[in-house]
Amino acid sequence: MHLLFSRNRNDKGNGDKSAKSSEPQKGVDFLEEIPEALEMRLRQEIQLDEELKIALSTDMTIDGKYGKDWLLATEKRLLAFNQNGKVEPDFFHVLLSEVDELEVRKLFGNNIIKVRTKDKGAEIARFSKSMASKFDPAVSEIQTLIQKSKPDKGSQDKVTGPREGFNKPKDFCSKCRRPLPEWSGGICPHCVQKRKMFSRLFEYLLPYWHVATIAMTIMFVLIGVRLVPMYLQKSLFDDVLIPGSTGKAPPNFKLLAYLAFGMIAVNILSTVLGSSREYMMAWVGHRITLDLRHKVYSHLHMLSLSFFNQRETGIIMTRVTRDVERLQEFIARGFPEMVTDTVMIMAMGGIMFRENWWLALFTLIPMPVLVILTFYFGHKMHKAFHIIWKRWAEISGILADTIPGVRVVKAFVREKHEVNRFNNKARELFQGEMNSAKLYTVFRPLMGFITFIGTIIIWFIGGGEVLRNPEFTIGALTVFQSCMMQFYAPVQSLAQLNERFQHAATSAERVFEILDNKPEIADKENAIELPDIKGHIQFKNVTFSYDGEQDALDDVSFDVQPGEMIGLAGHTGAGKTTLINLICRFYDINEGAILVDGHDIRDIKIESLRSQIGVVLQNPFLFNGTVAENIAYGKPGATMREVIAAAKAANAHEFIMNFPDGYDTVVGERGERVSGGERQRISIARAILKDPRILILDEATSSVDTETESTIQEALVRLIKGRTVFAIAHRLSTLKHSNRLLILEKGKLAEIGTHNELIEMDGIYAKLCKMQTELSKIRAW
Amino acid sequence: METAKIEDEVKPLDAKSIKIYRNELDDLVIELPDGSKHAKVRTMRAFPLSNPGEFIILRDKEDNEVGLIENINELNSKYKKVLEEELQKSYFIPQITKIKNLEEKFGISEWEVETNKGAHTFNVRNREEVRLFSSGRVLIKDADGNRYEIPDYRRLDPKSIAFLETEM
Repeated sequence: MHLLFSRNRNDKGNGDKSAKSSEPQKGVDFLEEIPEALEMRLRQEIQLDEELKIALSTDMTIDGKYGKDWLLATEKRLLAFNQNGKVEPDFFHVLLSEVDELEVRKLFGNNIIKVRTKDKGAEIARFSKSMASKFDPAVSEIQTLIQKSKPDKGSQDKVTGPREGFNKPKDFCSKCRRPLPEWSGGICPHCVQKRKMFSRLFEYLLPYWHVATIAMTIMFVLIGVRLVPMYLQKSLFDDVLIPGSTGKAPPNFKLLAYLAFGMIAVNILSTVLGSSREYMMAWVGHRITLDLRHKVYSHLHMLSLSFFNQRETGIIMTRVTRDVERLQEFIARGFPEMVTDTVMIMAMGGIMFRENWWLALFTLIPMPVLVILTFYFGHKMHKAFHIIWKRWAEISGILADTIPGVRVVKAFVREKHEVNRFNNKARELFQGEMNSAKLYTVFRPLMGFITFIGTIIIWFIGGGEVLRNPEFTIGALTVFQSCMMQFYAPVQSLAQLNERFQHAATSAERVFEILDNKPEIADKENAIELPDIKGHIQFKNVTFSYDGEQDALDDVSFDVQPGEMIGLAGHTGAGKTTLINLICRFYDINEGAILVDGHDIRDIKIESLRSQIGVVLQNPFLFNGTVAENIAYGKPGATMREVIAAAKAANAHEFIMNFPDGYDTVVGERGERVSGGERQRISIARAILKDPRILILDEATSSVDTETESTIQEALVRLIKGRTVFAIAHRLSTLKHSNRLLILEKGKLAEIGTHNELIEMDGIYAKLCKMQTELSKIRAW
Repeated sequence: METAKIEDEVKPLDAKSIKIYRNELDDLVIELPDGSKHAKVRTMRAFPLSNPGEFIILRDKEDNEVGLIENINELNSKYKKVLEEELQKSYFIPQITKIKNLEEKFGISEWEVETNKGAHTFNVRNREEVRLFSSGRVLIKDADGNRYEIPDYRRLDPKSIAFLETEM
């Protein structure tokens, strides 16, 4: 017998990220299977016709230990089952209609659900942060139930709690059901399979299968060719040297010459075949690298900003460069060698057993030791190399960090600190390298020694065999000797290949991790192409949080008409830049909707949205190229006249013409050869030239003086006619041309209106204005 | 609402009605279509490297821009010659015809070249100062800020090309 109330339980966290709707709780079931004892107890508390709506287990008890409590709700009441360490559990019980406030207290490392009625307050459930994604939507659901249970709908706004916007529904691994870490971007780190990694790698080999097949065929022919010298040698001993020198037959100079020439011919043939095979495999390897690198890099550009926020630049760079290179190494050399070696081992083993199976058996004695050692060391080396790789990435991370930031380092006289930081990492790398070197220095001689034992076995037992058995000639012994060498060598190299294999596996893991990352912000399947935007922008109850903890924007609603210029002001961290990031859809909102010309931006093709938005970012970034190239970045194929025109509008033309190379001046990496204000003006020109329908200026003129700013503004006012403009500025005079001002305060929309309206309102804006006028008075004086 | 056109931010001069000549002091004088006269004019190329023949900026002796000539070929040939002469003077970019030797020492490369203005030796501090354009054109900036040009490096002799390739 089971569950009176239960419905079928769906998998938790089945929310599809791409289809994040504003109502994530829809279709999510909040019913977990409850234990029998609890069910019995529950029946005493509720009426028979009540349906259980919510039954969720916590991972903590209310007194703060790990354990399991239950939060339950029907449409009439809220129940909590608290073990509290006691045998007889407490049962908290409250009618929904009496609930005044239901609150989730977001604490450090755990959250607590608190219920308040008119006269009482009680904490009813406690859970760790890992359960937050389960409980937050449930709490919203309970709040809906509370609202429904109230006869008076007017009181609903008193019930507060987290909106479901807090919790993007987290994904779970489809195999092991572990929650996926946010940085993993959809792949479960527990379920990564190495074998699969290689089969995926070989998918890249497929387009070049014909060349690869030819190379492989040559390789097999080559193995056959390499067997010939052994038999020529055998013939040299048995048919020429021994009969000739012991006087059993007349000296056969003719055969000697044949053998010598045969040897030369075989050598030439094997060299030619060997080089052509090498060349083909190198070609295939480099082709695959090219494909892979192209794919990785283009995929990188598909990924959302959050991917880059979570990773260091250096680490991403290593993946595109070093890791891909290692894969190439493996495909072009490692893999073919592995095949050759395996075939070689089989061929040599076959010959040895055919010549003398008894002696061959003895020769194989050291083999198990060799194989066991290979596995043992291979495992250790994989670990060692993983550590080395990580430290390498850390070092490039430091470089990518400090070299662009060298001015800050110097300004704060932290050179020594930075050098120490680097030295420590370099030393750690040294330690890592030495650990692997240690392994190596033990491993290699051990292998050498095992080969040596094989030789001794042949000398001793094979020598005895020659003396005893007339069938087993000296020639046969030499064949045996070289067979053994050619048998052990591939085994040894296979042992070293193992390490290469591990290298490649690690690299493949990292490269595929990027390829497996699904962009968080992607076009919907039926996303629409937006023709020319008019520029009508609506925010409807938009809530957004970068980390799921703190709201960067909280329930913001406004409506901007086409062609309006909106000034955004407010204290630092009020959410101005966030608002702009959302218009560009750099991030997806958690709740509410952003509409452009009446379309939800999540239904519009990203490209068609962003191509009509021009942005001047707070810290304008220029690419290493000429000024003209940078200005024309958003409009490939712009004419020179357009470039100059845009520069003139941005008041950049004059300083550009003061450079000896004019518009052909190279701005240097990250544009460091031009000053901050110049960089800003070039980036304004870049945004203007794109001729966007929506123009966003995020502190676009903060680094230029007021006079230059007002000339830029004059040009802008002329140019932006008919375009919707969002301008952020701390210096309020920058916003003087705005039709309306939007004042943000701690993520909320505090004030909206024209300059005069806001001054009259005497709120935040009026205060800011007053302060800045006073400041300018002081300056004037 | 009609949006403004970006091109309108630039108003090139009507090249046909410009007069450019030298006065008795051998200063460059420009007569603009509106009849205004400017002496001691500075001529500047907007794209001295990528497109030297178009977009010539004219500045008066106070360094204020007085106008812009979109295409030098539209000028009356008499005035075009004067302007070209002046531009030649303002932009001294010898053309390298042969690289006799190129040695790199401590990251600085020393070039020994033959140019259309005579033999010359110079130092280049940084590989980035040697810029290759898709047309095969190479522009070089030496450590002192002087410019050199190779119109099409593929037309140089093989030895020069071999030297050049080590730098690119």
